[in-house]
Amino acid sequence: MSIKIALAGNPNCGKTTLFNALTGSNQFVGNWPGVTVEKKEGKLKGHSDAIIVDLPGIYSLSPYTLEEVVARNFLITERPDAILNIIDGTNLERNLYLTTQLVELGIPVIAAVNMMDVVAKNGDKVNTANLAKELGCKVVEISALKGTGVTEAADKAVAVANARRRMIPQHSFEGCVEHTLAHIEEAVLHEMPEEQQRWYAIKIFERDEKVMAQLNIPADIQKHIEQDIKACEDEMDDDAESIITNERYVYIGTIIKDCCVKKNKGGMTTSDKIDRIVTNRFLALPIFAVVMFIVYYVSVTTVGTVLTDWTNDTLFGAWIIPAAQSALEAIGCAGWLTGLLVDGVISGVGAVLGFVPQMLVLFAFLAFLESCGYMARIAFIMDRIFRKFGLSGKSFIPMLIGTGCGVPGIMASRTIENDRDRKMTIMTTTFIPCGAKLPIIALIAGALFGGASWVAPSAYFVGIAAIICSGIILKKTKMFAGDPAPFVIELPAYHMPTVMNVLRSMWERGWSFIKKAGTIILLSTIVIWFAQSFGFANGSFGMVEDMNDSLLAAIGGAIAFIFTPLGWGNWRSAVAAITGLVAKENVVATFGQLYGFAEVAEDGTEVWGSLAGSMTAVAAYSFLVFNLLCAPCFAAMGAIKREMNNAKWFWFAIGYQTVLAYLVSLCVYQIGTLITTGTFGVGVIAAFVIMAGFIYLLFRPYKESNKFTMNVSSVDAKAKAKA
Amino acid sequence: MMPLTMADVGENITIKKIGGKDETKKFLETLGFVVGGVVTVVTEINGNMIVNVKDSRVAISKEMANKIQV
Repeated sequence: MSIKIALAGNPNCGKTTLFNALTGSNQFVGNWPGVTVEKKEGKLKGHSDAIIVDLPGIYSLSPYTLEEVVARNFLITERPDAILNIIDGTNLERNLYLTTQLVELGIPVIAAVNMMDVVAKNGDKVNTANLAKELGCKVVEISALKGTGVTEAADKAVAVANARRRMIPQHSFEGCVEHTLAHIEEAVLHEMPEEQQRWYAIKIFERDEKVMAQLNIPADIQKHIEQDIKACEDEMDDDAESIITNERYVYIGTIIKDCCVKKNKGGMTTSDKIDRIVTNRFLALPIFAVVMFIVYYVSVTTVGTVLTDWTNDTLFGAWIIPAAQSALEAIGCAGWLTGLLVDGVISGVGAVLGFVPQMLVLFAFLAFLESCGYMARIAFIMDRIFRKFGLSGKSFIPMLIGTGCGVPGIMASRTIENDRDRKMTIMTTTFIPCGAKLPIIALIAGALFGGASWVAPSAYFVGIAAIICSGIILKKTKMFAGDPAPFVIELPAYHMPTVMNVLRSMWERGWSFIKKAGTIILLSTIVIWFAQSFGFANGSFGMVEDMNDSLLAAIGGAIAFIFTPLGWGNWRSAVAAITGLVAKENVVATFGQLYGFAEVAEDGTEVWGSLAGSMTAVAAYSFLVFNLLCAPCFAAMGAIKREMNNAKWFWFAIGYQTVLAYLVSLCVYQIGTLITTGTFGVGVIAAFVIMAGFIYLLFRPYKESNKFTMNVSSVDAKAKAKA
Repeated sequence: MMPLTMADVGENITIKKIGGKDETKKFLETLGFVVGGVVTVVTEINGNMIVNVKDSRVAISKEMANKIQV
């Protein structure tokens, strides 16, 4: 029979490192049912019958955050055979808060005190024998990073799981609390297995709504219990939940006194000293700017470009594609199949995979920043700025990653606990030009603006402006009204990450992108290839030589009128915008094919002349803006769908992005044309109406302040009535 | 009593009261902000602060810090 061991602990206590050490590569990643909290399971190394379930990082078993709800639901409904509780040895007091709750569940607990190497280095001492006695469970000293004690902890967890001995909590609360708990157990819980009663009793005492709803207590008994709780609250002069919390901390205080000797009491730690400088009021932003500049300089312009160029030009361009072509021709493969495989699949997927090296370099940097502890500080530094337009500092990280690729960017929004903030971040992250949008910018800048240096920065500016304006506008709608969730984030101690952990995290993000390339992008390149290679020519349906006869051209021609108000209502641009949905860098390649070039450079130098002849500079800029802001590529849309976890929200996000893109492009074209040529028409009026509406949405009062003035006026009215 | 936002950097201070909505209050409690607990302000940017509480560093926004009376 297999056993299940749950791995529980605070965020930043080294849980992921331990999980990786325990399971190696034997992991399955999924989501907890119904929520977008990641669920990781893995087979324990050396025990083929033991499964480790990695619970989300939590501070307690209260029902306030999604992670806590998920973790405790798992613990109380599935009841794993043992809990391996990982505790940060440098921060015993806060970590034990969770431990005191875990031991009450009645499930056997093994406490693994992590970072013992750091504890020793600091000159501190943790007496694990005393700790074991106080907690009533086995305690193991480990260092997940160094790998010491890990096997021992796992073996002990397996042993207690097999022994099936129930856990007996050592802690007792104040007399009147215990009295009330006994009453509750007697009145409500006597039918439950004995070892589970205590945890439920404490939760009922705290008036935990979720537990109350689950137990469905009859009204008369509930009233009776309520009297007991009330009496206890009166005696202790505090509310029930705070009584429990305070008592836990008092209990932990006594444990700490017995088990822990600190060498330098109250002094500044190294992390504090670093924080004094790095998050300093004056230095924080300059330091942040320098760090970001280095990250982007290396990953975008130097190392990243070299690798990407090599993949695109050499690996795919010179090796794989010609090799595949000749191999297929050699075996006498049908012409259309060769076309599909080489021009459709390999070129299409290859174009996307070309970005992988660059992205991996960027992800390696981001993983480093994340695991050394700086990323959490970035969220802190950016919070005050982001708060001004309704987002939290945590929204910055997805956007930062989104400059590389929107897919992992959107996925990074998971760290935002507040549901509204997370949805808003998902909706706005892809406004930032990602790596794949850069070729479009280069194309437009080169073809119509003579390579002017302001075009690329202006694209980022458009993206940032779209995020800021969207933040403000959405925040004023009913859906997103309310303050952004108060910003609270634990800052891990600074430490040097291990190479393995950085590489692992880099690979996880990169792999999610590669998987997309292999599925959604693969499928859509086949569809697009089909649409552009087949069509009606000479009265019959079949493969067409000239793309002007293709299905795609027909579709483009049919929908081109939609884009006429934006200034680029020709079928080629319409088709390019559609292929942009597959992957944004496709836009350039499509223009190349549509203007009859088999192969174009990344910035499409060959088509500059034709493109400049087909649209005005203003129209081209409008085209650029549309492609920057509209629904992202299929891969990113897939990520939005998964993270929103709700079809309605998904369509709302995509719809919002597309409508915004359309309206902004329209204003750009119409007003731009008015300025450059002086043409005045219906379009210009429409543009001004849209602008007016936009400004109204931006500057109208917030929903809450609406309510507030209403309250004031109704109070006024009452006052007047009295008078 | 004064809000935590007004405390000086580097000083050891004792929490006297925690206000705010129940949910906010409970969350602060699980992080170690309890009445009687000692905290130290590490840095402060425009009201947002990094606070050392029970051996860990927690960044909290101005709004939250204002609810903690010291």
